[in-house]
Amino acid sequence: MLFFKLMSYFIGYVVIIVTGKAPEKFVNMAASRGIYLWDISKTGDNAIILKVQLQAVKPLRHIARRTGCRYNIKSRRGLPFSIARIRRRKALALGFIFFLGTLYFLSSFVWFIEVRGNERLTAADVLSAAADSGLSRGVPKWKIDTEKVKAGILERLPLVTWTGVYFNGTKVTIEVAERVVPEEEDRRPSHIVAAKAGLIKEVLVLNGNPLIKEGDTVAPEQVLISGEIPPLLEDPAKQGEDKKPKGEPKVIRPAYYVHARGIVRARVWYEGYGEARIIETGYRLTGRFEKRVSLKYYSKEIVLLDNQDIPFEHYEVVTSIKKLPRWRNLDLPVELVTVKYLELAGYRDERSREDTRKAAEKAALENVMKQLPRDAVIKERWLEDVSAGNDENVVRIKAVLETVEDIGKDKLFKP
Amino acid sequence: MTWRDFKKKFKKQFSEFLELPGDVMLDLPKIVLFGNVQLQIENHRGIIEYTANIVRVATGEGEVVINGENLTLRNLLPDELHVEGKICSISFN
Repeated sequence: MLFFKLMSYFIGYVVIIVTGKAPEKFVNMAASRGIYLWDISKTGDNAIILKVQLQAVKPLRHIARRTGCRYNIKSRRGLPFSIARIRRRKALALGFIFFLGTLYFLSSFVWFIEVRGNERLTAADVLSAAADSGLSRGVPKWKIDTEKVKAGILERLPLVTWTGVYFNGTKVTIEVAERVVPEEEDRRPSHIVAAKAGLIKEVLVLNGNPLIKEGDTVAPEQVLISGEIPPLLEDPAKQGEDKKPKGEPKVIRPAYYVHARGIVRARVWYEGYGEARIIETGYRLTGRFEKRVSLKYYSKEIVLLDNQDIPFEHYEVVTSIKKLPRWRNLDLPVELVTVKYLELAGYRDERSREDTRKAAEKAALENVMKQLPRDAVIKERWLEDVSAGNDENVVRIKAVLETVEDIGKDKLFKP
Repeated sequence: MTWRDFKKKFKKQFSEFLELPGDVMLDLPKIVLFGNVQLQIENHRGIIEYTANIVRVATGEGEVVINGENLTLRNLLPDELHVEGKICSISFN
């Protein structure tokens, strides 16, 4: 049926009104002669409206005469009539064609250029390099030679090792991959100083003058490897006795300054303290909660979900506010406020002295660990019970950790 | 008349024996009803009466009467007929 109707649309059909004593007869005769009728409906007494294909209208005249009916064409529909109508409105058709043509024409230009993958280069650099080899905004796409653009960008920007130029509609994506250039060495004179106090375990000097040796104790900010190389002096002992020994020794090479480099590993101690109670009381979350949801508009609050009374004796309140994201400079003053009441229950825990001690040790060690840098290697640890005798309920633990770590840090100086 | 009745009877028994559908052998209308909104009659013999409330269709076995409201004939082919609208009842006369 759909096929029939589609066909009818393409070859055209008419809506006719049949009037007469017995329009049913007309319909029957038409149907029995193989004329396809559809959408037949009654409009009034002895009048029906129906649709029929264009080429079947002529035979209907004969049928109408034989059944004593008359028919009038109400409207003509379908493609042939639409075309005729468009012919009468040439400007509209021309406008439509002009619109399609313009759309096609304008879509064959490059309107947007996107640069991807640049980190040190600015997009403007890449764009200007691309513009020199013929890719810029407003250039027709057929004039762009991607190979030439790629070669041009590579030539103009030595930092780029690879480029890709892709078309995506009116948008061109230029993808670049930058060369990884080794960072320039820092040549400013500097010392290596101790970041923290410790006992020097090993010293490895790459550049500079070490002022400490293994086994030394150093204080924070003490210079470990100096960036100042002392002048090389002539050894007076090598000269003969006849020369004046009291005179200024001859300078073979004057003092100079370097950026000190090296690794200074030292033993460093950290202290931490933790305590635990044998009988512990407090509150903890039970997992049960109640919710209150309200919508806030300026200062008005509309309660959406309300629990009148909170059935908990003790509770914690967590408030979260949800807001629609800002769009341009439109800021909706509507907020969804959810207040959660989390139930708390009191508890009282009692444990053995041994367990308490373990908990205190754990707390103490955790405290120490917080101070440790990442690369520290723990060499040894001591745990000491420092509980005062008077309070039986509390166990206090002091934890000491010994680590070996690089304590050096750069410190610039002006020679 | 008797000869015709005999023919009919023979056809019926033959189609029952071979389990052939009635619309093929006995020239019965095949009526498909979709809810109360659409009705499809195959193998009809023409429309006897058509108004917005009643459609009478001639078939091999008498007449099918469709009662309803706002009835329209959606498609009309030499042997097929679609009725749309609010269908209230169907009866055979």
